[in-house]
Amino acid sequence: MANITKDEAIIRSSGEAARAFTDWYYTQLTDGKPITSAYVNSNAKYLAASHPPADICINGTVVATPEEWDALLEQQRLIPFTGSKGKVKYEVEGFDVHVINKDYRFAAPAEIQAATDAKLMQRTEDARLMMVVTVAGSVVFGGKEKGTPPKQHFSDVFVLVPNWDFVTRPKFKGHKRYLVASHTYRAY
Amino acid sequence: MAPPTGPRAGTGRAPPRGPRATGGGSGGGIQKRRANPRTDRDGDVSMDTPAGGSGRGGSASGGRGRGSKDARGGRGAVNSRTSSRVVQNLQNYVSGGPVGKTQSKNMATLKIHGMSNSKATGNPDGGLRSLLTFLERKASKDKPITIGKVYSPIYGPPQARDICNYDKRIVDGDYVWITVRKDDAPEILRLNGFTYAGAPLTITETSERMPRPEDKISKAAEETKQKLTSVLARRYNPELKLLDLSSLGTDAILSSMGTFNSKDLAEKAFKVLVVLASQQYKTASEKREGIQAVSLASNGLNDVVQVFDLAKSLPDIKRLDLSSNNLDSLSKIAKWQHRFQHLEELHLTGNPITTQPDFVAELIKWFPSLQNINGQIVRSPEEVAVALKGMHPTPLPQFPSNLRDGEANVASIFVQVFFPMFDTDRARLAAEFYDDDSWFSIQAIANSGRNLPWKTYLKYSRNVHKLGEKNPATVQRLFTGGNLIADMWKALPSTRHPSMENPGAWLIDCHTFPNLADPTGHGFATGLLITVNGQFEESDTTENLYGKRTFTRTFILGPSKPSNPPPVHPYRVISDQLTLHDWTPAELPAVQAPVINQVPQAPVANAMPPAGPVILDDVTKNQLIQEVMKRTGMTAEYSELCLSGTANWNFELALKSFEEQRANLPPTAFINAV
Repeated sequence: MANITKDEAIIRSSGEAARAFTDWYYTQLTDGKPITSAYVNSNAKYLAASHPPADICINGTVVATPEEWDALLEQQRLIPFTGSKGKVKYEVEGFDVHVINKDYRFAAPAEIQAATDAKLMQRTEDARLMMVVTVAGSVVFGGKEKGTPPKQHFSDVFVLVPNWDFVTRPKFKGHKRYLVASHTYRAY
Repeated sequence: MAPPTGPRAGTGRAPPRGPRATGGGSGGGIQKRRANPRTDRDGDVSMDTPAGGSGRGGSASGGRGRGSKDARGGRGAVNSRTSSRVVQNLQNYVSGGPVGKTQSKNMATLKIHGMSNSKATGNPDGGLRSLLTFLERKASKDKPITIGKVYSPIYGPPQARDICNYDKRIVDGDYVWITVRKDDAPEILRLNGFTYAGAPLTITETSERMPRPEDKISKAAEETKQKLTSVLARRYNPELKLLDLSSLGTDAILSSMGTFNSKDLAEKAFKVLVVLASQQYKTASEKREGIQAVSLASNGLNDVVQVFDLAKSLPDIKRLDLSSNNLDSLSKIAKWQHRFQHLEELHLTGNPITTQPDFVAELIKWFPSLQNINGQIVRSPEEVAVALKGMHPTPLPQFPSNLRDGEANVASIFVQVFFPMFDTDRARLAAEFYDDDSWFSIQAIANSGRNLPWKTYLKYSRNVHKLGEKNPATVQRLFTGGNLIADMWKALPSTRHPSMENPGAWLIDCHTFPNLADPTGHGFATGLLITVNGQFEESDTTENLYGKRTFTRTFILGPSKPSNPPPVHPYRVISDQLTLHDWTPAELPAVQAPVINQVPQAPVANAMPPAGPVILDDVTKNQLIQEVMKRTGMTAEYSELCLSGTANWNFELALKSFEEQRANLPPTAFINAV
């Protein structure tokens, strides 16, 4: 790898994080699996630091908890005519990500907050990021076997903050590297 | 090439009981080789691997789950022959023999005619196995004859797989093609004129190329297809858009093709007919238009499983006639439950099911459009509309803009200034709201191309999903700093966003969030996240393209840096992400009534524009005044008057009121008053 600047490293790191997050998140949605663990609400370090619950706004309505969002998704899967559950398929067509705070330290371990360990600070340089991710894609409501299913466009905006449980493990690349602090959803 | 043979006359209703693979079944010592040459997917006789030889002999029916009788027939004799077969096959390998890919010089190709006229055609494989056994048995008394490649017609009834690429066997008229060693050829040719299962065999050596899998559709299948197409043509009523598949059992052509030799075959004939019928149309909508009704009356059906494929091939029919069959309970129709979304009319007269009291009530639950059963109206069009809507998972309700931007209405003011200025003066916009650390990028979701071409945007598109996060373009297409951003904006087509006066044209969600970096370098600052969904008109004068685009624009606003040059707004744009896509919503931002089981958890939806007096900071007010001055040519004083009046600091309203009042304004209201 050629030498890349610090900013390039941060840009790439944010791209990787957004990729890991969106890959996981929309697979969960399509598979009808819970996404509650993705939000800051259930994270012990953020709870301990009194971070407010994630701001979740779905189609213009504020939803108090990730669990309620889960319940809305469950409601969305319902096929009224049969009373059974159908598949609601989310397909990501694009995402863009910007770093909006390159040195996020809220709820971080003490040595990061105080920046006492230079090596640690350097090692976590491209991991202490606050990011905004805009995702665009399609939502398909149900399968084709029952006629052309309704389709919508969705736009999701997330503010992601570091999951301190993993920041000190630079090799860790999973979706849980970042947590959702804010989520704005619109499907139309 | 193989001369096509006409349909055989007089095939009986009952499957012909031709000789089974008697050699294999007897297990006697006559055969030189196993009774059931296992044909692989290419129609070649496959080699059993040495290790698996004994295991596979028994399941030689080709893994299709039918023909268990054949398998049984084979099994008895397999073990005793395993070792010699293994040896034989090894020899074939070494010599590049029968199973080799290329036709060896040592091999002869023979064409055998007559199987299709034999009594063995009723066997599941059309009599192929017993024919091969017959040849092997009769050919030689001293040494095993090894038949190499085998190609055979799938004889007998028209089968779905003839046309649908199933079981890559070759169909070539009524000929079975085999290869044998040159040495063995005379032994087989000697059998020319022998009677096999009641039919004389014609065996000739040929230099023609053996048919290949890719020839498959040709010849016999093509003939079959043509016959069936003619059946369809006779059975299609263009006035009624009706495909009449009733009384198939009495159809002369189908009978002549042996279609009803067994139930299995009749079902396959039906499948092919339905597939063929749907193939007559290029598009789904042509098909929907072309075939609106199907009759399956008088076919002796006792379960729709037998004709299930109708739901796959013609899912959009409106009328279906199942009268005079033997359907005796709902469970016999259950396979079609929730299929045929557009089925309006169903006829079941003459089926035992009609004596059941509940069948109508149940059936309308299964078919959302069903209005008429046996001529009785069972549901109103209104009820159908409700049922149809409920056939799919339901999108979540849509609520208007949700602006939670704090007491200063920063977001409301920002978007009111931003979008008109983006349309008219991008350079100034960038200079005032963006600083050296602002980020901007565009992503184009260019998938359908329904409206405008994407050329202008694609070179800038920072769709990380498509580009890949390691792509250097993700760095190059990120525009940082107000100057760069302004330059980039210059290159974009001009735009016109709808008026903020029309709240129905915008979906704006906004809230504050904590923990941005404070520009002073100490502690945290509060940020504002604004997400705007809407449409704008675009005019690309260089490409001469005009049209509408749907967009999502995400802004992160944060406190201004003290070092930013004037005019200093209290906030700046930290991040600006513009997403463009082709999707044209059916009803953009339709404001719907809340659904009952949706309980809003927090104050919802200040529709735009905010009601009540707007509280603005002076800098923003000044900004608005400057903008009005620029647009109207009025002095600062009059511009402020114009804004603070009924317009209530709404930029669009102010401009409107200016237009209305223009004639009444004194010359002193204008800067360049003459």
